[in-house]
Parts: sequence; C-alpha cells; structure tokens
Amino acid sequence: MKMILRAAAAAAGLAVLATGALAADWTPPGPIKLMIAFRAGGGADTQARLIAEELEARHGWKIIPEQVTGKGGLNAAKAISGENPDGTAIAMIVTETLGYNLRAANAGSPDMVTPLTTTAGSQMAVVALTSAGYKTLADVIAAAKGGTAIRFGVMSPSLADLAYVIGKENGIEFNIVSVKGGKAVMNGLTAGDIDVGFGAGIQAKAVSAGDMVELASVKSEPLANSPDAPMLTEFGVEFYNDTMFMLAGPKGMDPAARAAISAAIQDIVNDPNSKANQFIAKGFGGAVTISGDELDAIIAKAYSDADALMAASAE
Amino acid sequence: MGTLDYIWLGILAVFQGPELFSMFGLPISVTIAMVLAGFLTGIMVGATPGLAGPVAMAIALPILISVFGYTPDALLPVMGFLIGVMKGATIGGAVPAILFNTPGTPDAFMTTLDGHPLARAGKAGKALRIAHFSSASGDTFSDIVLIICAPFLAILVERYLDLPEKTALLILSLSFIAAVVGGSPAKGLISTGLGLLAVYVGTGEDFYPRLSMGSTQLAQGFPIATAVLGVLIIGAVLKELDDLWRKKREVGTVAASADQGDQRLHGADIRRLFPYIARSALIGTAIGALPGIGSTLAATLGYTVGRARYQKRKAPQDPAFGEGAPEGIASTEAANSSVSGANLIPVLSLGIPGNAAAVFLILAADSIGGFNPGPSVFRFTADTVNPELVVAFGLFTTMMLANALNWTIGGLFMRSMGVMIRIPKHILLPSVLLLTLAAIYVQETRMEAIWFALVFGVLGYVMRALAISPLPFVIAFILGGNLEATARQAFAATGGDPWFLFTNPLAAVFMAASVAVIVFTARNRKAAA
Repeated sequence: MKMILRAAAAAAGLAVLATGALAADWTPPGPIKLMIAFRAGGGADTQARLIAEELEARHGWKIIPEQVTGKGGLNAAKAISGENPDGTAIAMIVTETLGYNLRAANAGSPDMVTPLTTTAGSQMAVVALTSAGYKTLADVIAAAKGGTAIRFGVMSPSLADLAYVIGKENGIEFNIVSVKGGKAVMNGLTAGDIDVGFGAGIQAKAVSAGDMVELASVKSEPLANSPDAPMLTEFGVEFYNDTMFMLAGPKGMDPAARAAISAAIQDIVNDPNSKANQFIAKGFGGAVTISGDELDAIIAKAYSDADALMAASAE
Repeated sequence: MGTLDYIWLGILAVFQGPELFSMFGLPISVTIAMVLAGFLTGIMVGATPGLAGPVAMAIALPILISVFGYTPDALLPVMGFLIGVMKGATIGGAVPAILFNTPGTPDAFMTTLDGHPLARAGKAGKALRIAHFSSASGDTFSDIVLIICAPFLAILVERYLDLPEKTALLILSLSFIAAVVGGSPAKGLISTGLGLLAVYVGTGEDFYPRLSMGSTQLAQGFPIATAVLGVLIIGAVLKELDDLWRKKREVGTVAASADQGDQRLHGADIRRLFPYIARSALIGTAIGALPGIGSTLAATLGYTVGRARYQKRKAPQDPAFGEGAPEGIASTEAANSSVSGANLIPVLSLGIPGNAAAVFLILAADSIGGFNPGPSVFRFTADTVNPELVVAFGLFTTMMLANALNWTIGGLFMRSMGVMIRIPKHILLPSVLLLTLAAIYVQETRMEAIWFALVFGVLGYVMRALAISPLPFVIAFILGGNLEATARQAFAATGGDPWFLFTNPLAAVFMAASVAVIVFTARNRKAAA
C-alpha cells in the first residue's frame, strides 16, 4: 500500500513537474484573442487591457482584445466556450458569471469554460452619501420602518436578489433600482436618484474623502476601508457576495496552455511594478490570484449557492 | 476645486496633454495637433461635394480609437479631431457653393444664391472672405453660449429632475426629433420606431437575449457603429450611387471666373454686415439648442430674416438678395455655422444628440469610455477632482482652439480648396464605402459587423428613397438603451407605480408636450398643403 502511495505521489510530482516544464516552454500557436465581458473604458476593461499590454511586453505574445459584453458576462462565456482550446482565446469575466448568472439564465454548467485564474476581488459594500445621515445599514432599516421609501441601487440580478432578501429579513421592502455598472450606482447616489446602493470598490475614493460611507460589508469578511461596518449576518442575511474578476479559456483547454497563461497573468497582477497591479490595488483592493482546484471549487460553490439565493428572493 | 480651477485644468489637459513633438522648445500636445488635423480635414471634406463632416467623422473615429486606444487620455485628441472636422466642414461647404454654384454641404445651399453671382461678377475672393468672416463669427458666438449655458442647464436638470421626469424628457426629445426632422411626423415616427426596434435586439435586463430568435450572432445586439455608420453613411453612399447611375452626370469642366479688382474685406464692409451676422448668429444658436433641427433650417431662417431687413434698408443701386448681395452670404453662413456649438448644449447637459455631428461625438465618448455626456458631467466636486468635468472643459478649450485656427489660417486654407470639386464622384463614393467598411471592421473585428452594416446601409438607402430621414433612426438607436434603463429605474424607484409618467406634474407636462409636438406639426403640415 505504502509503495503504491509513494508511486502515486511520485507520479503526481512528475505530472506537476511535466506540466510546469510544459508551461515554461509553451508558446501560443498564434495571436491570443482576449474577450472582455465589460464595457470599453470601465474599470474591468482597463484591468484586462493592462494585463494584455504586459503579456505582450513580457512574453512577446500577440494579444487582441475584443469586447463581448452583455448578460452579466454570459455572452462572453458562451463565445469563449466553443473557441479553439489551444490557448489562442481567453475571456475576462467575473466568478458571478459562472455562478449566479449562469444558473439564473439556465444556460449551461460552469464546465462550459476552463477557469484560469482570478485577478482581483471586490470590496462589495452597501454605500450611501455621508450627507444622507446614515451610519450603518441599521439606520436605513429603521428609516424604512418609519415609512421612508428607500431606493436601493444595484448593478446585477444577484445583487437585486440580495437587496430584496436584506429587506425581507428585516420586514421592509426596498424600491430596488437596477443600473448598469458600479459607476452608475455612484452617479445615482450623487444625483439623489437613489438613496443607498452596492459598490464593489469604486466607492473607495469617496469613502476616504468622507463623501460616502460604507453602511455594511456584503463580503464574507470585513471591508478594508471600513472594518467596523457590520456584516450582513447581523441583519439576519445568510448570503454574501465575494465576486472576483477572473479569466477563463474554452471548454477542455490544453493543460499546458492553461498553466502557462495562468502563471503569466498571476506574475503580472502580483508584480507591484506592473501597471495592472497598481490599477487593481487602487480600484479593487489588491490582487487576488486563485487558480486550479481552489478556483474550480469557488465557482462550483457560487453556482450551487445561486439556487438558495433565488429561492430566498422568490418567497 | 472651484469653477476656475476646473477651467484651468481643462485648458491644461489640452495644452499639456501627451506630447507629440516640440517646436522651438515648446511642447506641442497631441490634442492641439489633432484639432488642427481635424480642422483642415473638415475644410477639405466640406469643400468636396458629396462628402460632409459626418462622413469624415465616421471613417476617422474607429481608426483614431484603434490608434489612441481606450484610455481616458484618448478622449481629448479624438474628440478634438471630431470637433475640428465639425467646424472645418461648416466653412468648407461655402467654397464650391460660391465658386461653382454647387453646395459642398446641404446647409450651404442658400450660400449659392448670392455667393455665386458675386463670384461671376469677379468678386469670388471677396465672397469667400465674407463667408469665412460670417461663419467664424457665428461659430464663435455659438460656442460661447454653449460654454455658459451647458453647465447651468446640467445643474438644473440634476437638481430638479427625478427619474420619472428624466424618462419623460427622453420621450419628449425623441418625439420632437421625429416631428421636426424630415418629411412628416409620421415618417419621423417610423424612423424613430425602427431605431428603437434595432437597439432593443439582444439588449435588456433579462438573461435571455431578446428578439435574437435564437441566433448567437444577434444575441449581443447590433454594435452601435454598424447601425450608425450603416444607416447614415453607407445608406447615403448607396443613394448617391443610385442618383449617379440614374443621371449619368455630365462630365463637363466647371468654369471658374477670374477675379477682378479689390477682394479684401474692409472695416466698412464688416460694419455693414455686422447686423446681419448678429441676427443670424442668434437664430442659429437658438435653433441649434433644440435637438433635431439642423443647420439647413437655420440657414433658411437666417437668410429670410436677413432679406426682410435688407429690402427695407438697401440703397437702390445695391444688388437684391439672390443677385449677389454680400449680406445674403453673411446671413446664411452666420446662421448655419452658429448651429454646431449650440447643438452640443443638449449633448453635454442631457446626453441627447441633436444632429449627426453630435451623434459621432457621443459615439466617441461611448466607445472610449471615461466620459458619459449627461448631467453627471457637470458636478463641481469640492475636494476630489471630477475627471469628466475636466474633459468637458478640455472640450470647450479644443472648440476655442479650433475657433482660433479658424480665424487665423481658416480663411487662407479655405480659399485654396476650389480644386476639391474636380474629384469625380464615381471614384469618391466607392472609396468612401470601402473606407467605411474598413473602419467598422477595425472597431468590431468580426465579420458579422460588416453584414450588419450592409443591411443597415440598405435600410438607410430605402429610407432615403422613401424620403424618410435616417436621423431620427440614429438618435433613437443611441437613446433607446438609456430610455429603457431610465424607464425601468423610474418604475422601480416609484415602488412599481405604472403611472409614473403622469403622476408627477413635470413629467406629465413633458408627456403632454410630446403628444402636442406631433399633433401640431402634423396639423400645420396639413394646413400648409
């Protein structure tokens, strides 16, 4: 038995070594198409293009960025799924694309793509203008109970469900306003079109300037800028949103290509001298590079958790 | 950050932007070079019959974006170029109108009436100088009005309009454009409706790609460049080719008459022309501020008002309007040139484009990102910098820069553009078609985009053949997404009130005006017929 285990371990080690060697040697058989699931010019798009620029500079690969937007990244996921799996096509999406969005749209299972690596997390929070006078989410709930209509800005269907559940668990009903992107939530708050909203990290500057306040953490852990902000569990909500930016390749992608591209991207986003790293640090609270089995597990959990959130918001 | 700080930052963004080269130790920023390039291109394009500013903007935009990339740094150079083209084309259009009795752009038609008789009388140089002076005056005046009005209007909108009113305002602008542009309100509404139908393919909040009939090509919707360039540019090229084929235009040489005598523009001339220029500039600016009414109507109105005044005051020996009166050129050119600046008032303060040039500015902002024309631009934040506001003041700076170029070298360059009429259309039109398709492919990099553009081109051709203006289509396509999103938000924000457009007094007024503008335009047309 021991022998078998040892042999297995050796084989596994060899396999890892082999993949590593392959990864170091791997060069793309042609230009790499980079599908970006976000609007041109936004934070996510800039992040993807900075990574592409650096990949070209460091490895001499030719990267062709291309916008494939819409449906919470599903258009990009569908488009990448059927591409050539030899490493000449990758896509920038979010984990939520393969989790809630894929499940809600009933458009397939997460194995329609090959996850490569995450690049950044989010600082998802409930945000309001400081001038509105709310200190935490509890104040908002109290105001709503007192009869004030609260407009809650959200930028994705899963966040809309989450806002609904926050209200439901506390015996109130928000007027949930869907807008396109986190920037639009910030604009809506400033213009007075909405009262509170979700921010995925774009609020950082306004929070540190004192213009906006983070009323609660929507992550599974406290917020970087407002560590004292309450967690959603304190309001009876068992859901959270840990969306991360990630890259994915076509279904059944060549393992050598997968390893090489993932490693190259991780090197870039983890290098404090790269523009991509600096951009992520500024906008999304620092680089997060999860890949392999750990990433697969996160995506699988996000996909299965979707049902519970949908069920809770359908009640 | 006070207002003055923002103005200063905007000026700096233009002059100290990325450096192209330095001259005599002074760095010349890319933006300045692009404004100059755009301005000269605009004059050439305007002076070429069959081309107009929008064609040059449409072809240049995707190419410029692929050169400058999708970073906020690209905004000012690219939009500066477009603004240069817009201004150049306005004065360029007068050249063939005066020299050869062929207007280079539609709004220069009234310029032929007095410009060409003057040219035949050996005063071509003087006629061109009058056209240039009037045009540059009207343009500058309009820009000043824009710079003063746009921020105030935006702040008013932001302060007093809630989501239901914003929805109603979008409906009002679409209905206004449908009513005033093109053949009739009914045709305008057809054009608007088709534009909305096209933009709603594949979009929407639901995960299911609506109206895509299961096709993966349609699931992403139509890229905005294919719809706008297809209907506006390819449609126009197809129509022109059709006209060319039907008419087999005579290929004779156009005779230019030789100049005789004094061609200069004297102080006395300017004093005489000034009242006409001032009136026309006011008319053009007022018309420009309303979305959808183009410079052609401004030119007609300016000319008519000018003629009425001239008939009362002219000395008996002076030529009448239509026989070579300098005042005729001044009235027309000041009016059509003062539309362009004012036209950006609704663009920058509300995000609503009023003409084709504005459409391309919005398209540029939308493609590059980092600048969303609309009320949120003019947020004068105190402790943090609002980058969009800096861009807005940067744009104002590029406009003033283009005006300065216009006053200094514009006239000289314009007077040398008489040769452009010699470009044969049977070579020009296919070149434009090829360049447009190449430009679309550069931006979209997938073959479907070309097919979409060609289908939209045929649609644009059919609409023109039936005398339906394609402009409401394009504006509806641009505003459609915003209209749907705002309406959904207003519905949600009012707690699901289905009557949100009517329960709020201001929204109800906008809705009533939307209906009224259609009804009254239709009735007037019937009465006139």
